[in-house]
Amino acid sequence: MGDSTMYPPGEAVLSRLQKDIVPPVTGPAILRFEDVRRRFGRLAVLEGVSGSVESGGALLVTGPNGSGKSTLLRCLAGLLVPDSGTIEYREGETALEIEERRRRVGFISPDLAFYGELTVEENLAFFARLRRAELARGLEVLARLGLPTDRRAANLSSGMRQRLRWGWALMHRPRLLLLDEPFQNLDGAGERVTRELLGAHLAGGGLAVVANPNRLEIDCVLGHLDLG
Amino acid sequence: MSSGIWTSARTWAGTWAAEAAAVFAKEWRCELRTRYALSTLGLFAFTTLVVVSVSLGPLGVMKSQGSAVLPVLFWVILLFSATAGLPRSFVQEEESQTAIALRLSATPSALFCGKLAYGLTVLLALEIMITPIYLGMMSLAVRSPGLLAVALAAGGYGLAAGSTLVAAIIAQAKGKGTLFAVMAFPVLLPLLLLAIELTRNALGGEPAGVALSQLLLYDASVTIAGLMLFPAVWNP
Repeated sequence: MGDSTMYPPGEAVLSRLQKDIVPPVTGPAILRFEDVRRRFGRLAVLEGVSGSVESGGALLVTGPNGSGKSTLLRCLAGLLVPDSGTIEYREGETALEIEERRRRVGFISPDLAFYGELTVEENLAFFARLRRAELARGLEVLARLGLPTDRRAANLSSGMRQRLRWGWALMHRPRLLLLDEPFQNLDGAGERVTRELLGAHLAGGGLAVVANPNRLEIDCVLGHLDLG
Repeated sequence: MSSGIWTSARTWAGTWAAEAAAVFAKEWRCELRTRYALSTLGLFAFTTLVVVSVSLGPLGVMKSQGSAVLPVLFWVILLFSATAGLPRSFVQEEESQTAIALRLSATPSALFCGKLAYGLTVLLALEIMITPIYLGMMSLAVRSPGLLAVALAAGGYGLAAGSTLVAAIIAQAKGKGTLFAVMAFPVLLPLLLLAIELTRNALGGEPAGVALSQLLLYDASVTIAGLMLFPAVWNP
């Protein structure tokens, strides 16, 4: 009852409904995570990892295989819940909860797969309808990457699949990109274009967390987290 | 304020329905290109139908016992056909690693309803295909065809909803086959008992009785439970 006197009736309902339909808020974005811990059974994969990144910058996460880079990115994306620690992501004044964060991020990972029975364009069209995104934006990215859109996903090479992941991740114009080995399997031209896309994303006020086994040369890197 | 809420609610409902429709269309598009569920369900149903019909036939079961025994066999055929094909819809997402993209993109309740609608249409198609064959091969007379249609629709919906819910729960587990059987048993048992009773009533020309209202209640309960449980099961 106390709540209803503080907020007009229906305000909370309106706010909840609008969460799903309003476009991303403008203003600087920031991602902060502190003392993030995650175990799988007895195996402690993340033991108190902290870091932050702001609009226009990238955080580079390096470490050998099994050091927890992918687990950290999954926690940041909202695909895994940390056992302890805090993850805070703000776009402008708005702090995004895990459900919203999950739908807003652009995520690339070697584990990310698409429907082999569908063509590249059908895959993007399906996810564009789910994410209320513009298919044209995804197709534009794929055109820059030179990926044929009429080919079935099952018939793509590993480099082509990585290009499709980039198109999928950028289609809904996310502010936050979480990139796990983003240049894996790409040829020289593919890596050059994806680096340009990442550069344009950061220059446009986006932010990124980039995980890779080895240190990468990326412009605008504001921090480096070594999990080794 | 109220018009703002109403507009937002309508927009949200529209986008939610569009998401569910997208999932439904995707399922069918993939299915029509692989024909995995259709061929599995169809072959399983046809094989068991032929075995039951040839073994018992119109003379194999005494006419007085036929309307009591044959509905049981009919729903057993439908149950095993459904469990052979429907759980794949979620298991496939995990095994082919498309679940990650789906988790990051879809509203869980819309995803559940899209998958449920797909399972329901597959099952209804199966019912439409095998029911006339079964009735013909067993020489079963239906005194209340309308009630039989209701029993098939309500029973089929419950079977699709229960299977979709259990499939979603087991999709991330190991030993999926065994787990599905173990978990589906208590969920689907009440449904089968009610659907069998309703089918018997339809064959015998008796009124629907309480079985129909209980079956509809079961369908509503499983749907609500699915919508409430699925987000917790699907997301971490």
